[in-house]
Amino acid sequence: MNAIKIENISKRFGDFYAVKHLSFTIPEGTIYSLLGPNGAGKTTTIRMVMNIIIPDEGSIRILDQKMDEDMKKRIGYLPEDRGLYPKMKVGELLLFLAELKALQRQEARKRIDNWLERFELAEWKFKKVEELSRGMQQKIQFIATVIHEPDLIILDEPFGGLDPVNTKLLKDIMLEMKQKGRTIIFSTHRMEQVEMISDKICLINKAERVLEGDLNQIKQQYGKNTVILDYVGEASFIKGLPEVEKIDDYGKFMEIKMKEQSDPQDLLNKLVDKIRINKFEVREPTLNAIFIEKVGDKNAQDTVSH
Amino acid sequence: MHKILSVIKREYVQIVRTKGFIIGTILGPVLMAAFIVVPILVQFVSVDQQEKIGVVDLSQEVFVELDKKLDQKLKDGDRRYLLEEYEPKGDVEALLEELNRKVLAKELTAYIFIPENIAEGGEAEYVAEHVSDFDKRGNFNQALSSIIIERRLKGEGLDPQKIGQYMRPVGLTTKKVTKRGVERDTGGTFVISWFLVLVLYMTVIFYGQIILRGVIEEKSSRMVEIVLSSMRPFQLMAGKILGIAAVGFTQYAIWALFGIAAARYSKNIITKFFPAGAAFDMPTIPAYIFVYFIIFFILGYFLYGTIYAGIGSMVNNEKEAQQLVMPVTMFLVVPLLIMAFVLRSPDSSVSVVLSLIPFFAPILMLLRICVLLPPFPQIAASIVFLVLTTILMIWISAKIYRVGILMYGKRPSFGEIVKWMRYR
Repeated sequence: MNAIKIENISKRFGDFYAVKHLSFTIPEGTIYSLLGPNGAGKTTTIRMVMNIIIPDEGSIRILDQKMDEDMKKRIGYLPEDRGLYPKMKVGELLLFLAELKALQRQEARKRIDNWLERFELAEWKFKKVEELSRGMQQKIQFIATVIHEPDLIILDEPFGGLDPVNTKLLKDIMLEMKQKGRTIIFSTHRMEQVEMISDKICLINKAERVLEGDLNQIKQQYGKNTVILDYVGEASFIKGLPEVEKIDDYGKFMEIKMKEQSDPQDLLNKLVDKIRINKFEVREPTLNAIFIEKVGDKNAQDTVSH
Repeated sequence: MHKILSVIKREYVQIVRTKGFIIGTILGPVLMAAFIVVPILVQFVSVDQQEKIGVVDLSQEVFVELDKKLDQKLKDGDRRYLLEEYEPKGDVEALLEELNRKVLAKELTAYIFIPENIAEGGEAEYVAEHVSDFDKRGNFNQALSSIIIERRLKGEGLDPQKIGQYMRPVGLTTKKVTKRGVERDTGGTFVISWFLVLVLYMTVIFYGQIILRGVIEEKSSRMVEIVLSSMRPFQLMAGKILGIAAVGFTQYAIWALFGIAAARYSKNIITKFFPAGAAFDMPTIPAYIFVYFIIFFILGYFLYGTIYAGIGSMVNNEKEAQQLVMPVTMFLVVPLLIMAFVLRSPDSSVSVVLSLIPFFAPILMLLRICVLLPPFPQIAASIVFLVLTTILMIWISAKIYRVGILMYGKRPSFGEIVKWMRYR
């Protein structure tokens, strides 16, 4: 069964295409990431899945049904533009949101306590939302998204604003949910997270799909044409070497794309005398490199900075 | 439906718990009572003080009678006014100078100057530091007039025994004619209509503003999309408007209890402290006025409430909202401005037409009902128009709200709003 099946959807605002002829399928029980630079159409796509925006054409099927209001009970949605009623107490707010998902009060209370415990927010239950830090509010929003144990979880930029500890916590929970057979679709800019947990990806640029499929397969398509170099020294000369097609230099760390038919061994020989090498790894390109290649450097600048 | 109920409950609990609501609900009647009680108390307190009044009587023949006439008593039986005669030993100007000084030094509350030709049409003078005490001036004026007029009548050779009879003042009772016959009216109709209309106007504006602020808060706190992941925009809007309506009814219920208590016990209380108050009849308000009041409040609230909700969804903050709200509020202010006209001629064709216009109807039709019950078809027509307009406004607002609530950034132009309404 497919958790989501999107066929040829488009959405226009005036003359501007926010999403154009987009199709993808998400099998049940997978973690699916929606990638793309700012303004690519990720949020519009998600809002169409949520029936908040109605597509101009195409069809969306969720859990093998047409989306309707009743379906909202089976979905957990964390929007990109998210906030909480600032004057409400944390516990009350979660109870209100759980009630909207048709959860029984008794059961909701129990689950709220468990989740607050898990996120180390138990002592904040009776505090007003406005007293919480942004990170804490993010966690409350996440609890609200999953409190009704939805079959399909849609997270728009879930990692934005979280510190490394909470990022890990969230990632662990996402994997846990996957193990329980739930489907997760999330959008992000941060490729490390995608590489770690995603099964499938869809890369959108300028309203259109540019890449879609199984993450491992995509990487294999590119082949082992990439060298990851961890180094100390002056390495700008590498760019001019005949074996090298393109580099992405971070100062201590470099991702080198090799020309076709060239041998990484030749490259290594040319480096050993000039710089100190801590690590030299031949592998498929990182998702970051694929992203930049597909979207174009200019377009992706603000993405890399994340 | 349970979702709308959850929203209603949340709105209700969140507002009713605020200090603003508790204070407003209690303070409303307290202020109202204060408006009635304080003037009575002020009078009561000021009455309880003996006042020294100087008299300069150049005619030489008024003082004794004036002293006799001004025999108003204080509560403890003492005289309220203590009159002191000052003889102008030659220099009148110097005496008046001295008296002015005494008034300023508060040795005297006031003094009265009676000219020589008082009986022949000369004017007396009342000189005091504070001249706004109508009650006191009225006392003096009446006393002086009756003394002089009696004297003139005596001069014409009338029987002194009969003069008192001739001079008995004439009473004037106001009566109001209605379908149910002639009733005594002490000005209560006017006060009640004014009061009810004002309460309706203020609560509609007040609760409209709460809706407006609520929608803006929901939008600016970015809460709305999370809520919309569980329900339709229309359900959220409806829940909010109904929840705040419930708050309004709670407030009205509390005020009504205050009002009933006041109506039942206030007369006893007033009479106890201020016997003259017994003469004032609390006006009885027919029950149908309350029924219509509630009908027009509900309709007015929903008409304006939905418009406010629509506006709230279009804007990003309250400042932007105020510009858009202005013209809407004008629709509520205009009827207040033409109220005086409608009060004077409630059944003129202009009044009839104005009170049928849905945006004015809640105030003007209610006013007409209070003053002079209009023919039922007119009332029914205004209610039908109002209901239809409200439904139209709910339809328009819901369409705008659905799109606007998720739009951030620049305030939309009129053209964009029309486009929103066409979105699927």
